[in-house]
Amino acid sequence: MARVRQTPVWLRDGAPTPPEKTPVVKRVDADGQYGLPLAEAPAAGNAAKPSISTHLWFAVYLPSLPLQAVSPDEGLCAVVEEQQGVHRVLIADARALEAGVQPGQTSNAALALAPDLHLEVRSELREQQALEFLATWLEQFSSFVSMADRDLLLLEIAGSLKLFGGLKALRQTIVDGLKQQGFDALLSIAPTPLAATWLARAGQRACIRDKSNIASALRSLSLHCLSWPPTICESLDKVGVATVGDCLRLPRDGFARRFGVARLLDLDRAVGRLPDPRDAWRSPESFVADFEMTEEQSDRELLLAICEELLQTHERFLLKRQLGTQQLLFSFYHLKSAATELHLGAASLSRSARYWFELLKIRFEQLGIPEPVIAVRLRGGHARALSTDTQGLSFTDDRETSPRYSMSQLAERLIARVGRQSVRGVVMRRDHRPQFAISERDVLKSSTIEKIDASWVDGLQRPLWMLSEPVLLSTDAGHPVYRGRLRLLAGPERFETGWWDEDGVARDYYVASNAAGLRLWVFRNRNTDGAWYLHGLFG
Amino acid sequence: MPTDSASLEQLLANPRVWRGRGQSSKRCGLSSGYDVLDRHLPEGGWPQQALTEILIEDYGIGELKLLMPALARLSLADQATEHNEPGWIAWVAPPFQPYAPALQKFGIDLSRMLIVRPRDNTEVLWSAEQALSSGTCAAVLLWPDSLDDQSSRRLQLAAEKGRSWGIAFRPLSARSQPSAAALRIELQPGVNATRLHILKSRGGRPAVIHFPT
Repeated sequence: MARVRQTPVWLRDGAPTPPEKTPVVKRVDADGQYGLPLAEAPAAGNAAKPSISTHLWFAVYLPSLPLQAVSPDEGLCAVVEEQQGVHRVLIADARALEAGVQPGQTSNAALALAPDLHLEVRSELREQQALEFLATWLEQFSSFVSMADRDLLLLEIAGSLKLFGGLKALRQTIVDGLKQQGFDALLSIAPTPLAATWLARAGQRACIRDKSNIASALRSLSLHCLSWPPTICESLDKVGVATVGDCLRLPRDGFARRFGVARLLDLDRAVGRLPDPRDAWRSPESFVADFEMTEEQSDRELLLAICEELLQTHERFLLKRQLGTQQLLFSFYHLKSAATELHLGAASLSRSARYWFELLKIRFEQLGIPEPVIAVRLRGGHARALSTDTQGLSFTDDRETSPRYSMSQLAERLIARVGRQSVRGVVMRRDHRPQFAISERDVLKSSTIEKIDASWVDGLQRPLWMLSEPVLLSTDAGHPVYRGRLRLLAGPERFETGWWDEDGVARDYYVASNAAGLRLWVFRNRNTDGAWYLHGLFG
Repeated sequence: MPTDSASLEQLLANPRVWRGRGQSSKRCGLSSGYDVLDRHLPEGGWPQQALTEILIEDYGIGELKLLMPALARLSLADQATEHNEPGWIAWVAPPFQPYAPALQKFGIDLSRMLIVRPRDNTEVLWSAEQALSSGTCAAVLLWPDSLDDQSSRRLQLAAEKGRSWGIAFRPLSARSQPSAAALRIELQPGVNATRLHILKSRGGRPAVIHFPT
């Protein structure tokens, strides 16, 4: 069907002449969208001279996708689909075919031929997932991957050829990668998406780079490769039109009238007379990956190895998008109880699997896993653009290469193990009351610290150690006692402040020392009972 | 022959050659700020990139005051590490609250202080090792509940790796335990003077110094 899609910017430039510019008869098709000249073929501006197309489409056709999506390993297996209440074999693997199983057979007939046959019901969801997985994987070769059909992917590779060492090398890389992941694919390359699609469906390992060669390459293709409705193929067959070449020879207006404008548009797009914009597929920006195990595991080493693998997938995911994240969530699923979760956080954006793994190892040591684990899921946090700095050259000092990290990285590691509340920075506050003159801060928060003028302390004695709570001292004939009677060396320094809030103090502070030579900061409460307290040590 | 003397010098420059006295160490120590102490320390100051142990019975007898001039020096901006930023001072498991106004009075940069309060001794040692080896901490002060020979060796290696100064505070009872620290000092308070006993000093000799309080 003719649908108007938004043309990607890069396709707009240099695209073949848009149909509006050809001043011939215009007609609106059923969808009311397209005007199209019927009397003659739209002048493909440069049809006369051979042109290397600016675009090159790589079609990846997966004929065995229903089979490979449900059972990735080789075995005696077939996929069945329900057709009018009867399960029929849709596709069978090589060993099943050897045993005589044929597509279209009922499942009973197939089982009679091969009693060991493993039957799977077709799962379109799994097929879609497998296709998305492959599309994600193919994104490394091209910035433009399109899901052309439910078993066919298209890549625009003209811009990738140089990076991947030419067409042949790129093709081989993709072939090897697909094989490694257990997918059989038919590949074709052509300057237009439809030509590449049709050639791949026909099973031809074609590689056409010149637009003027498209028509001759398509000529012999059977109409069954075109995914046109069967009724149309049938009626074309009846008039003796069996190949694309036959179609191209027919008068254009008659062909459009009898078989639909959409068919003519398809042909024009395939040979490059009309632009054929496609939607780019974008893999989701948030990362989720699962690792499912066949049986429950409680071996921590193994779980850690699985986590590392997931982190590497995560790194590849982020690398492709030039993103980094600050948060990760691991979920360890159990059969009986709720999942055990492990949050990881970092001070700055990162995607390095090694970095995250270091943090994970620290936390994982302490993580209590109550039950064996059946699956692990890694969910990436909000990802943001991350640009990395190049590392400096260092060939002078070999000690430079020893692992060193910045303060925030050190703080992260410490926080990961001992907790955020236990890793603190120090700040001073504008308060004369000794216990309120200090406070703590989060070390990872911005390090802009207000410089407080503390010159008022200059003439005063302040201890290096402060007790968090003053300790009541016993007294001996009115003298405070701390491991022996205390001798007051200096003071009093009077505080009578804080009456504006709950913590008003009225204290006389003294510097005292005991017989052992310990120097202490003690105070006496003036307003209440006159009791002595120890508040600090001079250290 | 000149070649012979050159090879002798080369030989002596090898850090593995230990010379009992008068060795010309290339590493110079961090001045403690007390001349009398500097004179007794082989590198003319606190050994940097190493672990120092201070044995005390009670907190607050002047052990921090002893360190303050050196820590203040590390806190200065021109003592930049290769990260071009002055080093941090980490306090791992301090027994009380380090009091900011007094620290500032001694010249410590409060914005570069890190206080870590781990839950148990294993975490204390782990945190101290991380801080020492990170290369961002100029000094790491730690108050472990216990520190065995192996752990002190680990800390010593971490201090070398991160070029940091580790200071472990331990009770007097640890005196008889072996330790890998480069310097071990015992502090005992007195009425008029604090007695400082250098128990072990790599490349130096034991000594007793009296500090007036």
